[in-house]
Amino acid sequence: MKSLKYTTALILLFIFTNCEKVVEIDVPSIPPKLIIDAAFEVNFDEFPVTANTVVKLRLSADYFDTSIPTVTNATVFLTNLSNNSVINFNDLDQDGNYVPDVAFLPQSQVTYELTVIYNGETYKGEAMRVKSTPLTNVEQGDETLFSGEETQLKIEFTDDGTVDNYYLFDFSNNLFLAIEDRFFNGSDYNFSFFYDEDEITLPTTVTVKMSGITQEYFTYWRVLIDQSGQNAGGPFETIPASLVGNIVNTTNSDNFPLGYFHISETDSYQINLVEKN
Amino acid sequence: MLVLFSVMSLLSFSQQKFTLSGTVYDNSSNETLIGVSVYFPELKVGTTTNEYGFYSITVPQGEYQIQISYLGYYSLSEKISLTANTTKNFKLIEETESLDEIIIETNIEKLNIRTPQMSVNKLSAKTIKSIPVVLGEADIIKSIILLPGVTSAGEGASGFNVRGGAADQNLILLDEAIVFNSSHLFGFFSVFNPDVIKDVQLYKGGIPARYGGRLSSVLDIYQKEGNSKDFNVTGGIGLVSSRLLVEGPLEKEKSSFLIGGRSSYAHLFLPLFDNDNTAYFYDLNSKINFRINERNNLFLSTYFGKDVFGISDNFVNDYGNAVVNLRWNHLFSDKLFSNLSLIYSDYFYGLTLDFVGFEWDSGITNFNLKYDFKHYLSDNFKLSYGINNIYSKFNPGQIIPNRPSSGIVAEKLTDKYANEFAAYIEAEHKVSDRLRFQYGLRFSNFLRLGQDELNVYANDQPVIYNAQLRKYESATRTGVETFDRSDVISSFNNFEPRLSTSYIIDDETSIKASYNRMVQYLHLLSNTASPTPLDVWTPSGRYIKPQILDQFAVGYFKTLKEGKYSLELEGFFKDIQNRIDYINGANLVANNEIETVILNGQARAYGLEVLLKKNEGSLTGWLAYTLSRSEQQTLGRTPNEPGINQGRWYSSPFDKTHDISINASYDLNKKWSFNANFLFQTGQPTNYPVGQYEIQGLNVPIFNDNTRNADRLPAYHRLDLSATLTPRKNKDRKWQGEWVFGLYNVYGRMNAASINFRQNRETLRNEAIQTSIFGLVPAVTYNFKF
Repeated sequence: MKSLKYTTALILLFIFTNCEKVVEIDVPSIPPKLIIDAAFEVNFDEFPVTANTVVKLRLSADYFDTSIPTVTNATVFLTNLSNNSVINFNDLDQDGNYVPDVAFLPQSQVTYELTVIYNGETYKGEAMRVKSTPLTNVEQGDETLFSGEETQLKIEFTDDGTVDNYYLFDFSNNLFLAIEDRFFNGSDYNFSFFYDEDEITLPTTVTVKMSGITQEYFTYWRVLIDQSGQNAGGPFETIPASLVGNIVNTTNSDNFPLGYFHISETDSYQINLVEKN
Repeated sequence: MLVLFSVMSLLSFSQQKFTLSGTVYDNSSNETLIGVSVYFPELKVGTTTNEYGFYSITVPQGEYQIQISYLGYYSLSEKISLTANTTKNFKLIEETESLDEIIIETNIEKLNIRTPQMSVNKLSAKTIKSIPVVLGEADIIKSIILLPGVTSAGEGASGFNVRGGAADQNLILLDEAIVFNSSHLFGFFSVFNPDVIKDVQLYKGGIPARYGGRLSSVLDIYQKEGNSKDFNVTGGIGLVSSRLLVEGPLEKEKSSFLIGGRSSYAHLFLPLFDNDNTAYFYDLNSKINFRINERNNLFLSTYFGKDVFGISDNFVNDYGNAVVNLRWNHLFSDKLFSNLSLIYSDYFYGLTLDFVGFEWDSGITNFNLKYDFKHYLSDNFKLSYGINNIYSKFNPGQIIPNRPSSGIVAEKLTDKYANEFAAYIEAEHKVSDRLRFQYGLRFSNFLRLGQDELNVYANDQPVIYNAQLRKYESATRTGVETFDRSDVISSFNNFEPRLSTSYIIDDETSIKASYNRMVQYLHLLSNTASPTPLDVWTPSGRYIKPQILDQFAVGYFKTLKEGKYSLELEGFFKDIQNRIDYINGANLVANNEIETVILNGQARAYGLEVLLKKNEGSLTGWLAYTLSRSEQQTLGRTPNEPGINQGRWYSSPFDKTHDISINASYDLNKKWSFNANFLFQTGQPTNYPVGQYEIQGLNVPIFNDNTRNADRLPAYHRLDLSATLTPRKNKDRKWQGEWVFGLYNVYGRMNAASINFRQNRETLRNEAIQTSIFGLVPAVTYNFKF
């Protein structure tokens, strides 16, 4: 229900967007932190079912640095805690993206432990595959929101009424939305997402991804989206704070990593967006 | 308490004294005047009229030349032979009326120096109207920000901060009724129609025992009663809104009515977009006043105000206050004044988001009964006492589908109920010509009443600390308790002592000191730099404790050059227990388990205020400077927990080290007058990122938890000018017109409302984006009266 707050702030922003300017700011800096971005996606609605299981290792950089360093010399492996089998990950392309030695499909009801060893310190996190539901329909609408220049995307799916669900939507172009089913538990739910004029160039093709996520990952993304500046601004902005994921440095807990280990079920939908009046 | 009564009985033995009492009115409108000084120069004693224009003073039998004086009015000097208890009403003539030949020195500052009350600022409707403001809308809240110790989070930020306190710690009273939302358009304009305002007082410290329920300040606003002599229309046409006020007698000099309206123009700001949209606000004030007889007065007043935004049918947002207030003034005797108030007040917030498919509303409703007595026992002893009971219902929110196809399932967050009772007694005691005291005690009792479901947590801990991930997390409730509405879930009792004293060094100099304890049982859930209309109030209870403040203040007061100038120096220290803060990533909106994101902490603020005023002459105004610090600390509950900011003190979001304001008004001649303000405030505390990383391709700034609010926005400063033109022809006609030309932010400084960090979509470079709200804004307003 964060949307409640955003819309209030949005009006303000909308009235005064022309009063924005880029300024030079001296920002403080900290020693680099290890970033572990391990969001596995199981494409459960495809046949055959495939999975995207990349572990991206990076280092944090100063805010205005133009590049983010990759970590290519780490040891990465995944342990299936139900049978203690181990899958090794390797950075084949030396780009910080570690892929499993053998094709691997995360199973339901199994806890996986991700281990990263870097600079003599060991980092561990656990995840279990989170169920999701397929997208029933994605289509372009012709309504607009504030400026009259937005592109409407209508999303439809059926929520599972037996459990609390949390979803992460990836609308391409680094546009994300995290929602919970608290207010539509068990219903055929439909809502609209609006691309701003500067977020998209029509005509184009976008991929909409919907993932089932844990409650903790939902909270994580809610804050992540907030702090990435997508919705920030004005006196209604919340006080930013550090965003801790679910991975622990077991060697030196003070040197905690950032990032998250998560396994979701994901459904994708590709759609062509065209110019409308 | 015993001491008080023994003092009272002692006093009643005094001999040969008589009481002079009555009411002081404005000569032309018959409005009662608040704070008029009634002074006996021979005895060097005096009193001031109360909120209803009433005064009472008991002095030895004799002949006196008494002085009645009031700022902006010609003083009155009258010979009185006091040989019995006497009722005498006075009528004062406003200085603006054409009586150029008579010039009597206004001399009201003298009493201010004597009274133990300190840390109070007064603004007249006239001053408020002459202060230049953005878009020409005269504004109480924007005016008080020019006073020492008062700041705001900037343009477009609602509320105000007093002596480093939060915006929810201000008690805003409109004719004794509590106003929850003080601003329109998210903070651009305040809800108070300047035409309807009679008197504004801001208490920042030494707060009298008759006020309670908020920690930082009391903004006490009284509306006009309505002209009971003549039918009058006042109005104004501005760039943003138009105002109209109609007042007149119902029965001449006995009863009157007043209806005032203010409305912005529809489609405010938004016609820039070719959408079908609306945005407007309005206020409606009405008041009826019956003077039943010399001893009884009845007032019925109402206020309705609303903001409405709509963008096609996709988005509709409306919110506002409603207040209905019935008051009865009764004089039990010429020494005992009473006022009974019955007040209903309501705040509503509504939102419809069609693209998500829901309607949302939240709000707070309360019923308030107040019975206040003012007992003028003798010229050196006055007693105030009374009771106050407020019953409140809180609707934290409900969501309902807005169309059949929506898919939203209706949900109601649990309503909360509370009752706040208070009783107080306070004495104004003149011990000697030099030494005076004002001491009192307020007792408050807060009952959190039964609600449908109260969440229960393991070990009574709604927030748990995850030591492994080093973060606070919301606990999952283990069950709910159910209550009847008459059950008491939690009960709090507090004694709130208040003490002020003044010591008069000489006729022009005094020192004062005060201590006050305040207790606040309601909390505004807000995690932003300034409150939003969406923020909800929540009562204290099992998981949230009442906020308790202790404030000490000392001051030095001096009038210079026979009252031409005055100087006020004050230092204060505030200590607040139970100030809440929020865990990282807390979601405050539509959260039915709000206790799971709250951490309990404390706050403190201290500072020094200087106010130099020029009270007379064609150039008047003031220079205010405040040096202060406002901090918060949230310790871990156990030694293993870090709390917030590693348990160290951090700047509160409204910490402003330096705050300078200058206000000057200059009457050039009968036709032209000019006004200027200059404002400088240290930039607001903020947080700059210490690094960046990427998750799923999204660039995210890193914020450091150990340096909360350690960075600052650039300093805020601006200069505003206004000129008022009163045409010469006014003199000979009923129609009185006036043009006000204003320039807001003359040198067009783009003050930072915020600085945000984000990745540029095209260059993929990270950028710091500063948002500013107003550059140079010219304005013109036409005011009229007939």
